[in-house]
Formats: sequence, structure tokens, C-alpha cells
Amino acid sequence: MTDNILEIESLESGYGEVQILWGINLHVQKSKLTTVIGSNGSGKTTLMKAIMGTLPTWNGKIIFEGIDISRLPPYKRAEQGLIMVPEGRLLFHDMSVYENLEMGAFTKRARAHLKKNLEFVFSLFPRLKERLDQKAGTMSGGERQMVAIGRGLMGSPKLLIFDEPSLGLAPKLVLEVFEAIEKLKKEGVTMLLVEQNVHLSLAISDYGYVMAEGKIKIEGEARDLKENDEVKKTYLGI
Amino acid sequence: MYAWIAALINGILVGLVYGLAAIGLNLIWGVMKVINLSHGAFIALGMFCAYFIFHFAGINPFLAVILILIVGLILGMISYFIVLHRVLDAPELSTLLSTYSLSLIIIGLGTFIFTTNPRAIDIGLGSIGIGNIYIPITKILTGLFSILFTIVLYVFLYKTWTGKAIRAVSLNRAAAEFMGVNSTFILSLSFGIGVGLAMVAGCLIAAIFPFTILSGAVYELKSFVICVLGGLGSPIGALVGGLILGLLENICALKIPVGYIPFIEFVILVIILLVKPTGLITKR
Repeated sequence: MTDNILEIESLESGYGEVQILWGINLHVQKSKLTTVIGSNGSGKTTLMKAIMGTLPTWNGKIIFEGIDISRLPPYKRAEQGLIMVPEGRLLFHDMSVYENLEMGAFTKRARAHLKKNLEFVFSLFPRLKERLDQKAGTMSGGERQMVAIGRGLMGSPKLLIFDEPSLGLAPKLVLEVFEAIEKLKKEGVTMLLVEQNVHLSLAISDYGYVMAEGKIKIEGEARDLKENDEVKKTYLGI
Repeated sequence: MYAWIAALINGILVGLVYGLAAIGLNLIWGVMKVINLSHGAFIALGMFCAYFIFHFAGINPFLAVILILIVGLILGMISYFIVLHRVLDAPELSTLLSTYSLSLIIIGLGTFIFTTNPRAIDIGLGSIGIGNIYIPITKILTGLFSILFTIVLYVFLYKTWTGKAIRAVSLNRAAAEFMGVNSTFILSLSFGIGVGLAMVAGCLIAAIFPFTILSGAVYELKSFVICVLGGLGSPIGALVGGLILGLLENICALKIPVGYIPFIEFVILVIILLVKPTGLITKR
């Protein structure tokens, strides 16, 4: 037995008849922060959609806690503890912050820990506690990202996936988001981070995958990837 | 003077049930962005359910209403899977056509089985008189039941997990699915509730007005006017819109021949669409 919580084996997927993913192999270890980096159009978001089930798996396996979930609809994957903080936040803009957090705990598994998780979210983002009754749609970009992360944590995630959390945020707020992810790492939350910001992602991650043209090009310990010549040249611009 | 007060009270009571009828249409639009053209057919179906339950089982519409809600809920959920599920993500025209064909099927079968003879339910509860004003008790009950159903719907949508899931799906279906919400079930349930409320409104209307299998169309049109008045996607707006329409009908009827009233209603509809297309009551 390994302590991999997620194991993706030769995954193929795409939109309609257009294949995007060409045999992805990827592992996420328990209590570790794994990152998938790559430029625009490398297939990162498609990979996330396939993992969450909004795109069908054409071939290959997605094994979560030893069970193949590749045929399950997204909501069943969420019930298993596979939770995503989606690209673009996707908040329930006309609901209050509290209701957004509450919806995060919709699954039976998460409802049992609603109070405990709420305390945890407040300890991470004290600002949300003062804004509970505010409509999520009226908040600033950074606050919205906090609500989105909080909502994800409310689901008692066994694996928390971040899809481009820094997208559309000002540099200062990007740092805040990464600080929050680092805090979560210290708490032992298992995470998969998909980012265009290669520098920051590699700085806080344990293990990394580099994607290009729908395939995994390079993988390795994050600190090794930082020193890798190809990564340096292509993504870090050094 | 008495005639005016009577018209005012009648207008409010009838307006409340118009509002309830419109809420079903409104909810379905709000959750899945579908204009349910079978709305009127289900209102008529509710009327006939009330009629047959009254004539064969002797149960009056105000007791039968719960049963009719359940029948409507189940019929609506089944209809969703047959009529809507596969075309939901297609362009609007597909859902309009599919709900319209459902309407044609219901009205066609209804005409064949029940004919278009007018029917009425006479429970004979009498009237309450204050001075020279007499208000039928059935109308008072209809108004009260309409308020009751609206409140229950509100509590359901804002205080229960399932209700919140309906609101979440209406705001962002993909995100709700990521939270573990079975959005297909929630969509079918919402359509079921919309249809159930239409049938409940039909049942209540049948207790106060005569009807035929074709009557649903009249109330469907009223529901459209009400939704435009109150703003699509807002249940409270629907109730207010219903009140405005009910009052308008009853008060205008004092001075203008009844035949002109639908004309006036549609003039108002057109004016509102021109001047304030988001409805008089806009969401916060």
C-alpha cells in the first residue's frame, strides 16, 4: 500500500471529439502539497475538469482512496471528499457569505463537522467572520477568493484542489492566497494546486508536475524542479 | 361605496391566488431559465383533480390541496425527465417547444376525456357579511391558503438544506455540483414544485370560479403579466404582482365591461416591458 490519496493512470479526455489529455499519470500523496504547472493551453484546467467529473474520462483510471471514481458524477466525487476551489471562484453571488460557507458543507459527511470546520475557516480568515451577512457578490476579489477557499474547507476535504487560485488577483492578494495555502499545508491538509504562477507554486509545494500539450513532461520534488534547466528556461524565465 | 370596498376585498383575495399561480412559473424560470408553457395546462389539471376528488370522494378542495400538491410534485418530476432534461442546455427555443408540446398533450387528452363543458365546485360554505358587503368564505379560504403556501415555500427555500440547494443550483449549477449537490435531482424537484404549485393554484381557483379544461390558458397569461409586474425570479414580487392584477380586475369591473379587462392587462404588460423590463420589484 502506498499513501497516495489520488492516483491517475493514463487518463485521456477532451471536449467533444477533440482530445486534450494524452495519457496523464499523476499521484497525490496524503498530507502533501502537489502542484501541476504549465503554460496557458497545456491542458491543466481540462485535467481538473476530468478529475472533478465535469468532463468524461475517455480512457484510464482516476483512483481516489483506492476506488476508481472515473465514472462517478461530480456530486458523488464531492461526497467522497474530493473538493475543488474552482477557477473564477464560482461563488453563489446572491447568497450571504454564511450561506456560501454552509453550502460548502452540503454533503452528509461535511454537515457533521459544520461547527468545527466553520471555526477553522474563521481562524484562517478572521475577516470573513465580520462579513457573514454580506452578499458574496458584493465583496472584493480577494475576499471572494477567501470565501471560495473557506467554502471548500467546509466540505471536510480529503483532497482539496485549487484551480488557478491567483487568477485575476492583484499581486498583494496573490501572496495572501499563497500564505493561506501554506497555512493549510502546515495543518496537514492534502492539496493539489494548479497554477500558472510557477515560481510561487514551486516555492510552497512538495512535489510538482509540469504539463505541456496534454501530457506530463517533467515530474519531481518541487525543490528539484526549481533547479531543472528546462523548467527554468521555459517557465521561470531565468 | 360598498361596491368599492367589496371590489377591494375581492381583488386582494383573488390577487393572492393569482400570485400563487405565478410563483410556480417564476420558480421554474428562476432555477432553470425555462419558460414553462405547460403551466396553464397544469393549472387546469389541478382544477380537474379538485373537481373529481370533490365529486367522487366528497373531499373539499381545501383539504384535497395537499394531495394535489403531492400529485403535482410527482407529475412535475416525471415530466422534467421526459420533457426537459435532455434539452435543458439547448437554446431556449427547444425548451419552449418541449413544454408547449407537453401542454398540447395535456389539453388534448383533457378535452377528449373531460370535453370542454364548464364545471364548477359548489362547496356551499356561504358568505360572511359585514354591513352590506358579502364575501364568500371560499374566497377568504383561497386567499389564506395562497399566503400559507407562499410562506411555506419561502421557509423551504431559505431554511432547509434542500431549499438552499435549489437556490444554489439556480445561482451556479456547476459550483453546486462541486459542493455535492445532485443538480439533476434538484432541477427535477424544482420543476415538480413549480408544477405542484400550479396545480394547487388550479385547485384553489376551482373552488371559487367555474372552469373548463381550457381555463388554464387564461391563468397562464395572467401569470406572465404578474411575473413581468413583479419581476421574473422573485417569489415575493409574484405575490405583489398578483395583488395588483387582482385589484385591477375587480376595481375596473365596476366601471368597465369585463371583456375589456384582459385588454387592459396586456396594455399594462406592454407598457412595463417598454418602460421597466426588469419588473416593478427588482431584486435587492
